[in-house]
Amino acid sequence: MKVKFWGVRGSIPVPGPDTIRYGGNTSCVEVVPGDGTTLIIDAGTGIRKLGKQLMRGASGRGEGDIHLLISHTHWDHIQGLPFFAPLYRSGNRITLYAREQDDKHLDMVLRSATEDPYFPVPFDAAQATVSFRELREGDSFGVGACQVRCARLNHPWIALGYRIQDGDRAVAYVSDTAPFVDLILERDFIAAPPRPGESPSEEDQAKLAKMEIDLVELCRGCQFVVFDTMFSLAEYRQRPHWGHSAPEHAVEILRRAGVGRLALYHHGPTRTDAQMDEVVAEARRNAPDMEIVGAAELTEFEV
Amino acid sequence: MQITFWGVRGSIPAPGPETVGYGGNTICLEILTEAGKRVILDAGSGLSVLGSRLLAEAFGKGQGEAAIVLSHAHMDHIQGFPFFAPIYIPGNRFTIYGGEQSPGRLERIFEGQMDPNFSPIHSLKNLGANIEFHALRGKGPVKIEGLDVSWRKNPHGSTSALAFRIEEEGRTLVYASDAGYGRAGVPEDAVAFYRGAKLLVHDCTYFPEDYEMRVNRGFSSIEHAADAAVRAQVKALAMIHYDQDYSDEDVDRLAIALRRMLDERGGVGIQLISSREGQTLRI
Repeated sequence: MKVKFWGVRGSIPVPGPDTIRYGGNTSCVEVVPGDGTTLIIDAGTGIRKLGKQLMRGASGRGEGDIHLLISHTHWDHIQGLPFFAPLYRSGNRITLYAREQDDKHLDMVLRSATEDPYFPVPFDAAQATVSFRELREGDSFGVGACQVRCARLNHPWIALGYRIQDGDRAVAYVSDTAPFVDLILERDFIAAPPRPGESPSEEDQAKLAKMEIDLVELCRGCQFVVFDTMFSLAEYRQRPHWGHSAPEHAVEILRRAGVGRLALYHHGPTRTDAQMDEVVAEARRNAPDMEIVGAAELTEFEV
Repeated sequence: MQITFWGVRGSIPAPGPETVGYGGNTICLEILTEAGKRVILDAGSGLSVLGSRLLAEAFGKGQGEAAIVLSHAHMDHIQGFPFFAPIYIPGNRFTIYGGEQSPGRLERIFEGQMDPNFSPIHSLKNLGANIEFHALRGKGPVKIEGLDVSWRKNPHGSTSALAFRIEEEGRTLVYASDAGYGRAGVPEDAVAFYRGAKLLVHDCTYFPEDYEMRVNRGFSSIEHAADAAVRAQVKALAMIHYDQDYSDEDVDRLAIALRRMLDERGGVGIQLISSREGQTLRI
């Protein structure tokens, strides 16, 4: 199984000379299992170039069968979708997966992102056959020869992490998430971090503990895990309510899951390449037992 | 006035080594008036870069004030707004101007951008700064931060985008991004609106051959920009809204082709600026 990064950035695309090596595009990862199924996780701006590449293959002939797993619908995870060329080629089949919402169907959410006045081309103009599959945490389903499973993450408006199992090989994608300690992030807008000494209610603590165990199980035995590490620990302490982790949080989950290979991912938009080198170096110093890489655009890993 | 380009790319931010020269951020221009006031034209991803610069000034202390004037509300013209740091600092004041029917409609566009499905901000009410909305009806002029601003609707695909004529002490900037004139070319009333500008910032999305396949997308070929600049007898023409797939080398070639078109049409004296991120011009 191959994992290739097309967009590694969180929040907003950040073009410029300071982000050339790690890349400035927002979240998008391609997973190519042994049977060649096209699996993509998230549709940030990175998906534009992936789409061009896919058009050189089956998708260019209208024979593409693409499975797009969306962690959540925040802009930086969907903003590249209207620029995904296979959508505009008839014959292609594209299946979009994301968490079920309480009040709106997934297709309505995605349609409203590209409707007037935000975008000139409505979702319905897509010539490909697009279908939507709404998920709940814990769901498990087959895609080609792979088995995909999802778990809930601790992020505002709720995000899903995914595990893709291809025979005896497995990879997990865990973005975006805060650790499962200081507060639970759900439907409410949380304006400020908890006050010192303030901890979640017992009910929320139980929910957080279950989410954390489920995430550890999602990662268990994976050969490679891609994890939201947008923050340093100091940054996390200032903004736990933003729903992102530091490398230390990722390492802790992976150790419990018995995983030895971590890709730091969803880099903060203000991090320069030089700062990213430092983030990666520090994470390696703190966890010398683990193989840690900083996800960089267009790099790929054999799993 | 002083004009700085913070984003010159069309449609979607295009990071990568191939765009580092001209820049990959979507549309955002900053005008600093002679009186030191600030008007921002469009709020593409370049606005985020401007925002971090402004924090060093009054905006970092909650004492900043600026107008944000929108040509239209497509994503590449508003996507920088949630990442414009000064909007989170109480005390800062912004007035957003757009061509919608009412201030309420304009406000709902930004409210929709903050919808919890798409943004962790949830709502405009969670921003710290004071933000007002102002609908631009008719054609102006109105005073915005001391500048005389008038506007016209250019066709833009299935919708329209406002072009702005901005005057201060007899000096005129015209900003015409996302101008999709179509096969009929630049109409006489657009030329009249641009006439005599010291600087015309004009949509230069496509080479003519690429335009041929994308006539209905609502953008200009460089031929339109050349034609508009020559017929309107402007002093200088600045290119903007480069196609997301154009590399720095492509934009270099775009500028060379446009220079030739200007010369061939009698615009030898028109200065041509291939705008790049961070570049500042004075008129």
